[in-house]
Amino acid sequence: MSNKNFLIDVDKCTGCNLCVVACKDEHVDSNYEPWTQPQPEGGHFWMNVKPLERGTIPRVRMNFLPTLCQHCEDAPCIPACPEGAIKTRDDGLVWIDAALCTGCGDCQPACPYDVIYKNDNLNIAQKCTGCAHRIDEGELPRCADACPHDAIVFGELGDESSLEELHPEFDAKPRVRWKGLPQPWITGLLIDVNADEVVIGATVTATDLNDGTIITTTSGAFGEFWIKDLAAGHDYRVEISHPTYELSSAPVTADGDTDLGTLELKASP
Amino acid sequence: MPESPNPRKVYVSHPGSGLARSNFPLECHVEDGEIVRSLPFHIPDDVRLYEIETTDRGSYSRPRKEVQMPLALAAKQRVHANTRVKYPLLRDGWSPESPNGAGRGSDSFTPISWDKALDIIVSQLGRIREKYGSMEPVLVQADGHGQSGYLQSLHFWGHYLFDMLREHKGWGWWTQQVRNPDSWEGYYWGAKHVWGFDDSLGEPMQDAVWDDVLEHAEMVIFSGCDAEATGFGMSGGIALEMPKWLKKAGIKIVSISPDLNHASAVHADTWIPIKPNTDAALYLAVAHVWLAEGTYDKDYIDTHTVGFEALEAHVRGDDDGIEKSPAWGEKVTGIPAATIKALAREWAAKKTTLSVYFGGPKIRGTLSHLAARMEAYVLAMQGVGSPGRQFLRIGAPSFYKKNIAQVPRYPDVDFHGLAFSPMIEYAIGRGPKSPVFIPRSLAAEAIQQRKISWKSTTAALAKAEDQFTSYQYPPSEDHPGIRMVWNENGSQPGSWGHGWNWLEALRSDDLDFVVGVHPWLENDLTFSDLILPAQTNYEHEDLVVVQRSDVLGLFYQEAAVEPVGESKSDYEIHRMIGQRLGLDDAFPPVDDWLKASYEETLAATRDDISWDEFKDRKYVIYDCPTWKEWVDIKKEFGYSEHTGGLHWFWDKADGLETPSGKIEFVSERISKLDPDSEERPPLAKWIAHAELGDSAKAKSYPLIVMSNHPKYRFHVQGDDIEWIRELGKIKGVDGYYYEPCWMHPEDAAARGIEHGDIIMVHNDRGAILFAALVTERIIPGALSIDHGAKIDFGLLDNRKIDRGGCINLIAPTVQEKYEKGAEIEVPEMNISGFLVDAEKIDPLRIEPGAGVNFETVTGGNQTGDAA
Repeated sequence: MSNKNFLIDVDKCTGCNLCVVACKDEHVDSNYEPWTQPQPEGGHFWMNVKPLERGTIPRVRMNFLPTLCQHCEDAPCIPACPEGAIKTRDDGLVWIDAALCTGCGDCQPACPYDVIYKNDNLNIAQKCTGCAHRIDEGELPRCADACPHDAIVFGELGDESSLEELHPEFDAKPRVRWKGLPQPWITGLLIDVNADEVVIGATVTATDLNDGTIITTTSGAFGEFWIKDLAAGHDYRVEISHPTYELSSAPVTADGDTDLGTLELKASP
Repeated sequence: MPESPNPRKVYVSHPGSGLARSNFPLECHVEDGEIVRSLPFHIPDDVRLYEIETTDRGSYSRPRKEVQMPLALAAKQRVHANTRVKYPLLRDGWSPESPNGAGRGSDSFTPISWDKALDIIVSQLGRIREKYGSMEPVLVQADGHGQSGYLQSLHFWGHYLFDMLREHKGWGWWTQQVRNPDSWEGYYWGAKHVWGFDDSLGEPMQDAVWDDVLEHAEMVIFSGCDAEATGFGMSGGIALEMPKWLKKAGIKIVSISPDLNHASAVHADTWIPIKPNTDAALYLAVAHVWLAEGTYDKDYIDTHTVGFEALEAHVRGDDDGIEKSPAWGEKVTGIPAATIKALAREWAAKKTTLSVYFGGPKIRGTLSHLAARMEAYVLAMQGVGSPGRQFLRIGAPSFYKKNIAQVPRYPDVDFHGLAFSPMIEYAIGRGPKSPVFIPRSLAAEAIQQRKISWKSTTAALAKAEDQFTSYQYPPSEDHPGIRMVWNENGSQPGSWGHGWNWLEALRSDDLDFVVGVHPWLENDLTFSDLILPAQTNYEHEDLVVVQRSDVLGLFYQEAAVEPVGESKSDYEIHRMIGQRLGLDDAFPPVDDWLKASYEETLAATRDDISWDEFKDRKYVIYDCPTWKEWVDIKKEFGYSEHTGGLHWFWDKADGLETPSGKIEFVSERISKLDPDSEERPPLAKWIAHAELGDSAKAKSYPLIVMSNHPKYRFHVQGDDIEWIRELGKIKGVDGYYYEPCWMHPEDAAARGIEHGDIIMVHNDRGAILFAALVTERIIPGALSIDHGAKIDFGLLDNRKIDRGGCINLIAPTVQEKYEKGAEIEVPEMNISGFLVDAEKIDPLRIEPGAGVNFETVTGGNQTGDAA
């Protein structure tokens, strides 16, 4: 087992998609057997930068999830293959042996990460090999080599305990590690409607009604507040306090991002 | 090609650069004559990189890895694209006796031999000369906007060829197409009259500006600035790095734009959506707050500016009865008054720098010169040039410098390190060389109308005074006008205004002959009579002049692959023609020209690396100075350690290129040369116009298009690559890749449009198809559509449409603000900010292919000697 692994840092990814094209540049028209045969010209995204548009105008942000095969320890694709064509290398990379693959496609629905593609010309299933052919030569996988922001890193990650997994609930023991996976936020704009001014410096707290955790922020120079990294699915009570305004509160369930919109604060009596 | 190690490593000029200069090249691996991969270049450890040091915000450098844009990695797919022109192609409907102009764009082509192609060119030039006495009836469109090497794939050789015919053969002048300041219209036509900067198109010089911003700035306004769009094309990977510097320095980023653009969506702390082309109104409302609250730099106004009282009066509404209050600003811009006030206060309280990248929605719309001037006004009100208050051009590490670069570099490397092609003067010069010329933005009108008149040469580096000089075409009453077109652009309909009209102009029977020089049969090239097959960068040797990056160098480019068909480099094509016409001496062998260029550089003159040695080692990359050396260099030019940009002006309060030497709220030059101009008055004002949302036209066309540089294409390049289409397009239910049109859910719902639906965006100029990209990233009432999509004509219910999504086809013309026949006073190009409407259509009703059928005409199954 090699101690080198992929680390995807969502906070660093700008969605440039260089990794996607680098993967195509490496694999289209090039044969790297046994690890894989040529990728077709189009339609395959062994590296797939999934855009995630969050929020409503004007409080909108983009996150991107550069998604490749998670090279799972308990990869559901392996038992799904009737030919035993899907194998795990000593270094943990999962690969599809084209010599054994009959193109039946059973592995595709088995993969919860949706990273397996059918090559209709060659009648085989294909996916990210982790650039096994390059790693064996001491080179970086092309996606990591192309990334301008170190959002995709391949190497010795050291202590992985603080790192995340993509969809741990799939129970596939994915090997690829993540940082900064998006968590729900609550945002809004505070306005003093009588003065027609934004309210700056209000204290905004979100209390987790499930476990009592409190997250606090203040409204910024444009009257906006963002409470980030909430626990998905938890219920929160949001309270907005400011010396010159009446206390305001709202219940929020963090089953996604919430924009409370423009909140009109009333001056304290 | 000699056999060599497998894979052979070849450095190839970046396809997303241009004008004889490149970013770092692609490091291509070639196996068995094919490019198998293109890798980032790693600057070797023995090259010293720069470190920008700050007092307490850390230091800033760049990675050794130089990444390439997706298009660059994908560009190899264009070498053998099915649109590739492999042989000279002659249009079937054309003959010397009967040009049959109406057939352009729909006739088929037949491959002919080079011999025959050269015969035709020589005889057509001869005809022109015999009939008209000079080459003046030949419109030469050779000013770049595509892939470009230093010598071989350069697009300026048409001008050189005709210039040499004049100089050596006495054939007279030619009609030179002059390239307008296409990415920077508003600054060029407007801001120059406030603060000068003729040599940088009206934007302040960028000398050492990062030293100042990273040390002092507390907030940076991205004014339509999107370094992720065309990012690593024009400036290399450093354009992606620079926004991260701002974050690392703890500087807040506020994005003001109709769209939450690609860079802002990941980097901005706050997005302030604004209706397209209303930035001037925002700036006035901001000024209103500062005036009301006294939070502007009054001392600076006294010492550094003239005419401020006039702006105060306009803000009060003394001149037009409209007080430019935040409430008024809200009505015009769509930004809540409370947000305008918050912005104004934050801007005044924090050391604020304003930043742009290439283009942007603000700067290329109707009357964008007013927005640009107003921007300079508000920057002046906060003492532009004082520490942390700068005008920052992200991704301009090498141009827009007066004495020293934007980041630490040795001035002698800047000025003598690289080979500079004299051909650039033909395209990005101080003015046309030929006294017979036409602005690129008026090329169609010059063909279609017997007489047009306008002000300004529109040359990129022209002096501001030039904007008040009148010109006309044809230059005299008895002049024949344009009879022949020499097209080396291929980008006119996709990157300039009202492209549809340009294509119509090409169908004129007044044109005896249209020559295209291009590697691909696409866009306006299909409207040629004769197409000469040019090569891609991969097919020939050249110099790669790394000048668009922050670290400078020279590479030797070997041919990566065999030439496709009988294609030749742009240089070789013009050389062959030149040789036919007795211009052998003007076109020396490629290696001689490259060697002579190289031998002027520091690599040869200072570092004693011979041409042969250079070719052997493949590249030279120049060291950057240490911080201490840089600080000493800056001292020579009046900057202290942590100052840069306009600090010198803040210091001196004099020395701008305006008549007064100061920032001019009221332009002395306009007051003198065009005092009664309603369009561009001596004081920039808020002026409503026909392409705004509250105009009469908006009743029929209630949506306003903003258009920026594309993220994955490079201008008009790339749509024919499947990898780029997959990223940048949306696949319709009919399987066709449509260009996306960003639309707010409100506007979509009002029209029954859902995400992914195929829609027709139309106005009186035409109709274009897109896929709706329904998103919260665009302000309601606006559509965002990138320029440069590849044209693909078809029919929809018998209406001619472009299915390819080329929005510039229906952008306004430069002329239409004026009555036909009247002089065009400010020939600004408007390609972002014009009215349309959108409706859902059924893509199954489209009849594709109302034009040239690409598959059958590129000579794919035919031999080159068919003639």
